[in-house]
Amino acid sequence: MDGMHDLGGREGFGPIEVDEPEVAFHHDWEGRMWGMSKSTRQPDWTIDWWRHVRELIDPVDYLSRPYYDSWAQTQIAAFIDSGVFTLEEIVAGKSATAPLARTETMTTAEVIADSRSQASWYDRDIDQAAAFQVGDPVCAKQLSIRHHTRLPAYVRGKPGVIHAHHGAHVFADLSAQGIEQGQHLYSVVFAAGDLWLEAADNNDRVFVDLWESYLEPA
Amino acid sequence: MSTFDSDTVSEIHRQLHSHLPSEPALRVKALESLLVEKGLVDSRTMDAWVEAYSEEIGPRRGAHVIAKAWCDPEFKNRLMQDAPAAIDELGYLGNATAHLKVVENTARIHNLVVCTLCSCYPFSILGVAPNWYKTAAYRSRAVRDPRGVLAEFGEQIDASVEVRVWDSTAELRYLVMPQRPPGSDNLGEAELAALVTRNSMVGTQRDLAINAGQGE
Repeated sequence: MDGMHDLGGREGFGPIEVDEPEVAFHHDWEGRMWGMSKSTRQPDWTIDWWRHVRELIDPVDYLSRPYYDSWAQTQIAAFIDSGVFTLEEIVAGKSATAPLARTETMTTAEVIADSRSQASWYDRDIDQAAAFQVGDPVCAKQLSIRHHTRLPAYVRGKPGVIHAHHGAHVFADLSAQGIEQGQHLYSVVFAAGDLWLEAADNNDRVFVDLWESYLEPA
Repeated sequence: MSTFDSDTVSEIHRQLHSHLPSEPALRVKALESLLVEKGLVDSRTMDAWVEAYSEEIGPRRGAHVIAKAWCDPEFKNRLMQDAPAAIDELGYLGNATAHLKVVENTARIHNLVVCTLCSCYPFSILGVAPNWYKTAAYRSRAVRDPRGVLAEFGEQIDASVEVRVWDSTAELRYLVMPQRPPGSDNLGEAELAALVTRNSMVGTQRDLAINAGQGE
C-alpha cells in the first residue's frame, strides 16, 4: 500500500531519542497490549493482514499516537472486521454475548515454553524455478500498489544485484488478502549512491528482502 | 471470518477514531475487559507474557549467542549457516526468529538493522524492541543517513568502513554480530556475554569495551 507507513528515506523526522531507558515496557498498558497480542489471534489472521490493518490507520494517527496504541487499534479493528465483537461492544467495554471460548491460565514458565512454538516458518516448496541467480543485476519495478505490499517506495525503479536467494516464502501481498502462495524471495543489494543523490561518494549499501514479482532483469 | 478488505477496515478505523477514548491506557483496558468477558484471553496469562518478556526473553539471550560464537568456532559456523537451528540449541528459538540471519561486523564492515515498513525485530533473542527502533525518525533515516543515525548514538564510522543496512521487509530477521572487544582474550563466555549490549546487536553501537557492561 502506498501509505504513510512506507517511511524509508522520508525527510523531516528529526533526531532519534538515544537515551531511552532500557526497559521492555515504559507503561503498564504497553505490557498489557503486548501480552494480549501474544495470547489472542483469530485463525484466519495472517501476519500480513495484521500489518495491513495497522497501515490503514488514519495517517495522522499513525504518525502521532504511541506505538502500542496502534497495536490496540489494529487488534480492535481486526476483531471487529472478523465479527468477534462489535464497535458498540468495544465502545461500551462490555460484551453483549455469552463467552465464545474458554482460555487456560498459563504460568510464566509455560509461556516461555510456548514462545518456542510461536516460531513461524514462511518458506514453502514450489515447482517454479527461480528466475534470478545470485549476482544477477535486477531492477525493482516501478509499481503503484493500493493493497498491502513489502516493496518499499525508496527502491522502486532502482537497480540492484541479487545478494542471496532464500527459496520460496509466503508472498506477503497475497497473504494480506487471505491467499497463501509461495514465491521466490531474494535479498537484493542496492548501492546507497543508486538510492540517494547525496550518497554518490560513499560505498555504503542497503540490503532489502524482495519477492520475485517485485523484480525485473536489469 | 476476516473480510481482507481495505475499505471495510478503513471505515472501522474512522469509527474507532471517533468513538474510542483518546487515552491509550483506556483503549487497552477496554479491549482486555471485553476479551476476558468473551473468554478469548486470560489476564494471568497476559501477566505471564509480560513477565517473560520483561525478564527471561530479552537481549541477554542474544548476548549469550554472540559470546558463545566468539568462544566456540564450531557454534559460530552453525550460527552463520543456520541461525534458527543454532539458537534452538540454546532454547532461544521463538517469536520472529524462524528465519534469523546473523550478519558479522569486521574491521571493514558495519551492519545496521531496520524495518522501514513496520517494526520487525527478532523478539525471541532480543526481547521487545526499543521505542527508538519503532519511531518514524529511525525508520526513515536508517536507510538514507545511517552514518548520521550512528553519530547520534555516539558512533563515528570511519570512511574506510562500509556500512551495510538491512531492511527487514520479509520474514527474515537480522542479528548483528559485533566485533569481540580488544583485550578480551582471557575472558570466559559469561564475562563476554556481559559486555554485549542490545544496541550492538541491532547495529547502533559498533565498539564494545571490556570495562563497559550491558545496560550502559
